Amino acid sequence: MKPLVLEIKGNSLDDGPGIRSVVFFKGCPLDCKWCHNPESKRAQVEISYDSKVCIGCKTCITTCPNKAIAETNPFFIDRDACDLCFACVETCPSGALTRVGMEMSHDEILDRVIVDKPFFDTSHGGVTLSGGEPAFNMKFAGQTARKLKKNNIHVLLETCGLFDINRFYKHIYPYIDMIYFDIKLMDTDAHKKYCGADNSIILKNFSALQKKYANGGVPVLARTPLIPGITDTDGNLRAIGSWLASRDVQKIQIMAYHPMWIEKNAKIGMKLPISGNLVLSEWMSRESVERCKNILASEGLEVVV
Amino acid sequence: MKTKEALKQVCTNLLVTQTRSPEHKNGLGKMKNVLLNTATRLALKGLATQFNLRPGLRKYLKWADGWINFSVGLRTEDQSVAASIIFSNGHVNVADSISDHVDVTLILKDESILKKMAMSTPNELLNYILKNQVVIDGNMVFMQLFNFYLSLVLGRIHQHMLNRTNTADIRERKKAVGPCNKQLAEKLAARKAYRMKAAPGIDAGVKFLTDPYLSSYGIEQFPRLAASLDRHFTQKPEVCPERPLLLTRWFRKNGFETDVNGKPWVPELRQAESFKYLMENKSPVIGKNDLLAGCTTTKPVGVLLFPDAHGAMIWGELKSSEKRVLNPFACTPKTADILHHEVFPFWTHRNFREVMREKYNTPLPLLIDERFVAYFVWKSVGISHTIPDFKRVLEKGLAGIIADIDARLLESRLSPDQKNSLTAMKTSLEGVIAYAAHLSENAFRLAAKETDKKRKAELIHMARICGKVPSGPAQSLDEALNAIWICWIAVNMENTNTGLSIGRLDQLLQPYFEMDMKTLLTSAEKEEYIKHAIEICGCFYMRMTDQVPVLPDIANYLFGGAGSTQAITLGGVTPDGKDAVNDMTYVLLKVTEMLAIRDANVNCRFHPGKNSDHYLKRLCEVNLITAATPIMHNDLAVFAALRQHGYPEADIRNWSATGCVEPTLSGRHFAHTGSILLNLVAAMEMALHNGTHPVMRWAVGPETGRVEDGDFKTFDEFYTAWAAQQGFIIDQAVALNNLYGKVHQEIRPTPYLSAVIDGCIKKGKDLVHGGALYNSSGTSNIGLVDVTDSLLVIKKLVFEDKAVSFERLKQVVDTDFANDPQLLAMVKNRVPLFGSGDPSAVAMANRVTNTIHDCYKKHLNYRGGPYTVGFWSMSQHVAYGTLSGPLPSGRLSAKAFTPGLTPSPNASLNFLDNIRAVAGLDPENMDNNIAFNVKLSPKPGESREKTIDDMHAYVKTYFNLGGMQMQFNVVTSETLKDAMANPENYRSLMVRISGYNAYFVTLNRDIQTELIERTEYGL
Repeated sequence: MKPLVLEIKGNSLDDGPGIRSVVFFKGCPLDCKWCHNPESKRAQVEISYDSKVCIGCKTCITTCPNKAIAETNPFFIDRDACDLCFACVETCPSGALTRVGMEMSHDEILDRVIVDKPFFDTSHGGVTLSGGEPAFNMKFAGQTARKLKKNNIHVLLETCGLFDINRFYKHIYPYIDMIYFDIKLMDTDAHKKYCGADNSIILKNFSALQKKYANGGVPVLARTPLIPGITDTDGNLRAIGSWLASRDVQKIQIMAYHPMWIEKNAKIGMKLPISGNLVLSEWMSRESVERCKNILASEGLEVVV
Repeated sequence: MKTKEALKQVCTNLLVTQTRSPEHKNGLGKMKNVLLNTATRLALKGLATQFNLRPGLRKYLKWADGWINFSVGLRTEDQSVAASIIFSNGHVNVADSISDHVDVTLILKDESILKKMAMSTPNELLNYILKNQVVIDGNMVFMQLFNFYLSLVLGRIHQHMLNRTNTADIRERKKAVGPCNKQLAEKLAARKAYRMKAAPGIDAGVKFLTDPYLSSYGIEQFPRLAASLDRHFTQKPEVCPERPLLLTRWFRKNGFETDVNGKPWVPELRQAESFKYLMENKSPVIGKNDLLAGCTTTKPVGVLLFPDAHGAMIWGELKSSEKRVLNPFACTPKTADILHHEVFPFWTHRNFREVMREKYNTPLPLLIDERFVAYFVWKSVGISHTIPDFKRVLEKGLAGIIADIDARLLESRLSPDQKNSLTAMKTSLEGVIAYAAHLSENAFRLAAKETDKKRKAELIHMARICGKVPSGPAQSLDEALNAIWICWIAVNMENTNTGLSIGRLDQLLQPYFEMDMKTLLTSAEKEEYIKHAIEICGCFYMRMTDQVPVLPDIANYLFGGAGSTQAITLGGVTPDGKDAVNDMTYVLLKVTEMLAIRDANVNCRFHPGKNSDHYLKRLCEVNLITAATPIMHNDLAVFAALRQHGYPEADIRNWSATGCVEPTLSGRHFAHTGSILLNLVAAMEMALHNGTHPVMRWAVGPETGRVEDGDFKTFDEFYTAWAAQQGFIIDQAVALNNLYGKVHQEIRPTPYLSAVIDGCIKKGKDLVHGGALYNSSGTSNIGLVDVTDSLLVIKKLVFEDKAVSFERLKQVVDTDFANDPQLLAMVKNRVPLFGSGDPSAVAMANRVTNTIHDCYKKHLNYRGGPYTVGFWSMSQHVAYGTLSGPLPSGRLSAKAFTPGLTPSPNASLNFLDNIRAVAGLDPENMDNNIAFNVKLSPKPGESREKTIDDMHAYVKTYFNLGGMQMQFNVVTSETLKDAMANPENYRSLMVRISGYNAYFVTLNRDIQTELIERTEYGL
């Protein structure tokens, strides 16, 4: 199966230094319950339906050869009946139906981002490889990074940290300028429960990359998404802080929680992966962010929000 | 029982026949017309009786020189209703018909409008006129006078209606927006508190400032300026009768068409003599606590009147302008009486529009103009949008210029015309010198009375300065600024105060700043002097901003919230191509930042490779703090646009912005850059309707084919049809501008401005005859993106994808897309629009701008110069939007166009796509500049430095890619909405419309909505 790109988003000011284009790869080894890009989890092509954009013209219902679309369906499309022919996407006038995941060559990716090179140059920006998990398709991401490097583009990698480090050194590491590395939960069981995998490789990988950084290698920035009641607990943050500090890490970035991912699940026919008492429908308050910041700072880290 | 049923039967029959039989219906229609005619005549007779009987009203039937005689007709388009009212020698009569000699007629679309009119407020009536439901045929000044008479009788009722509408409007706004969020206003104001510092030694021209950003200065250190600001935002501008009264007095005595001996006047000499009289007799006002002597009006915040140019456009509102909702003007009863009894009646026929109407017998181009939908020609208002040669004024003094004129007058072989023109220039300069002398005397007089020591010294200082400049050369910053200011007052006494501009103020002042600095020894002295420089420049801005153009209520809809739009230009390169950024650039940027006022309209040039990033970052920071100024230009793109005219490179490098954004070669160029404001969408509508404009209901254009009949087999065939309609409209607008040029030559030469623009003395010719070294006329073409997007939609959906037939598309467009939301969705989603990142959309925009450019370049103006082509829109994109029908682009009827040439919010969510598209436009087609409007919202909590770095990166890259101009609104839609509902918290919230700045709360609701709906990009 060929690696897929979910989206290339231009003009990002939040994914590294300067003005950046972000290449979102599709497919991820983790399964975080709160994943803010749920459509990036699976490595396969999917179909998405946005009820807010839909004008209710019913063209798709008549177009679909498999009769997989019905207004009575809570997800609009019966994904079991759909064979992903995308006939509906082609006829949809409003853009409510879209194909999720495109096959792209390295050159096609390069062509899409190179037009923004003048902006990278004036702002000291570049391209951020994100996902999904870019290292999920190690060779593909690495080749993409190499192409970008060759064209003098600054490359930043955002990673969940779960990968084979030797292959990483071989395929990706030489072609990137910066790594944003997620440290989500310190407790192994909690990590398994909420992220669908053990965190021991992730932590090992981080330690190794951090060591290289200390010896003049690619800069690594640890980042923690603040998920209310899951990652933003005093215990977890304190544990992250002291673990990082003991590895001579000086800086951490925290990412305040926002609920904009919630409705994304329904678009691709997925039920909300978290239910229960957690307050996940609200934007995180300034006070909560401040509290998290203070915990990490008390461990001796410089905290960026 | 039987009779009842029979009666019912008869009634039913009657109704049926009434609806079925056309003859019968006509019969009833006629009966109705008899009723309506009777009602109309009765209403007019009521009015006539009141004026015939009530002495309080009768006194308004005459003026200083006798009875005011005129007549007004009122009829429907098909003449089903017709009546007229005749004011003759103190008697008012009503007639059942309209005489051929009627002065002005109101033509109503149909009878329904008559009923609506009877129930509507004056500004609702204006909307009927703008939307062509009511057409005015004839003398506009008499229409104004008739409105004045109506206001005398109905003013109270109208005011009551207006108040009611206004209260309802405020209630509705508050309801729509929800509870007031005071934090938003506070956050905006808090931007001033943090100010970035800068290192010295980066800009070669900055010789004295140790922190060029002058971060230690804030308005709190300048109580004098803070007080002026407070006055600016609290005091209603007041109509000042001084200028028109003095002038009218002179003309009544000395004649207008002929002199006291009955000999026809030489227009140049007449204008010079009257101007001199005005300057000699004008009150030498010195503002309380001001550092600059002189004032255009006698009021602290004054409205200037030019009945001698654009007629008495405020006549109808003399009694109501104080109470109108938007931008009210105070007008005392005494002023109203003076204007009615001693001024306005003199000018009923002696203004640009009416001379044009009489002389050229209401030519077609004027008829189109008076339907408001297609174009507006600024020469109906006056000479505007021009920049004097202040460098020469400062270096030589006016006496030095007079000496030059004298030397020319001694030369043999001067024609009588040349002699007259030169004599007129000299006479007018003498008037300005006399005014300065009066200022000096008054300053001494005030100083003698002054008890405060510090103020006394300031007054004596000013008295000495005015005794020296502008007659002699300036030798200090204070002298230079006072000289410019006095000469600026004179410019605004001679010509209508719209778009007249100062030029490169930092370049003009730097030599004097340096002269002063070199005399100072200690750093404390220098610091004190820099503070003084900021303060006196602040006084200069405040003086500029406190003279307001006269805006009738109709202008609140056409030119919402505009001040005089006096551009000043900073930065760029010197005529020999060196970095021109200097100490005064930063001093003036400081003033711009601290005052954050709409006028002066600050335009900054950036020359990539010559000007520093550090300067560009300062421009971004001032934009962030003020939310909307200065405008930023890329020198390289402007140069590329100007080179097609073959101007010398040194003059091109010396360009400055005029009015909104338009380039003028400083001091030697009569570019009248705001000559024509043209609605591009009109031609698109006409192309879709075979030459008929739907709003005008007039088959005015050429027949270029019917969409319904399948006349267009290819896209290019339709493009050709559109280009033909566009060419037709441009031909008409240009013809009107050229005819107005001739009218200017006849009634309004401008000897003083001629004396201070390079070329006129040498040629011995007035500006209006082409005396300036360089001549051109500038145009602004509004709706470029809506037209381009419409063409893209037609090309793709009809001719490429064949997704819909042209007939069907047109049918759906004509219904405002009401019956086919699917097609509307396709239009919005399936077509890569201008600004989407699609290169073929940029190519289409270039094709369109090129076609428009070629249409104009076929013509020369009345001074032999070329027409230049701009794509900025003031607020016309809103006004023309409300007057235009739906478009294939998906823009619905009456919605605003995109401002300037800004991509539509539908084009892309990615700001970089927008930037690339606009930067990809060929500058050669845009030699009167553009307006690219960008709304940015800073991220809460982000550091000032990071925000400025990001803004800088956008602007810098846009310029590197070849973009010509960019202007910001750094404010969120959320804040604008809060301001819409709670104006009391936002009196000073400044916004950039499309070229000029205005205060948000003074704008009409359509413009406010357009600003709110602009795409907002986060920082």
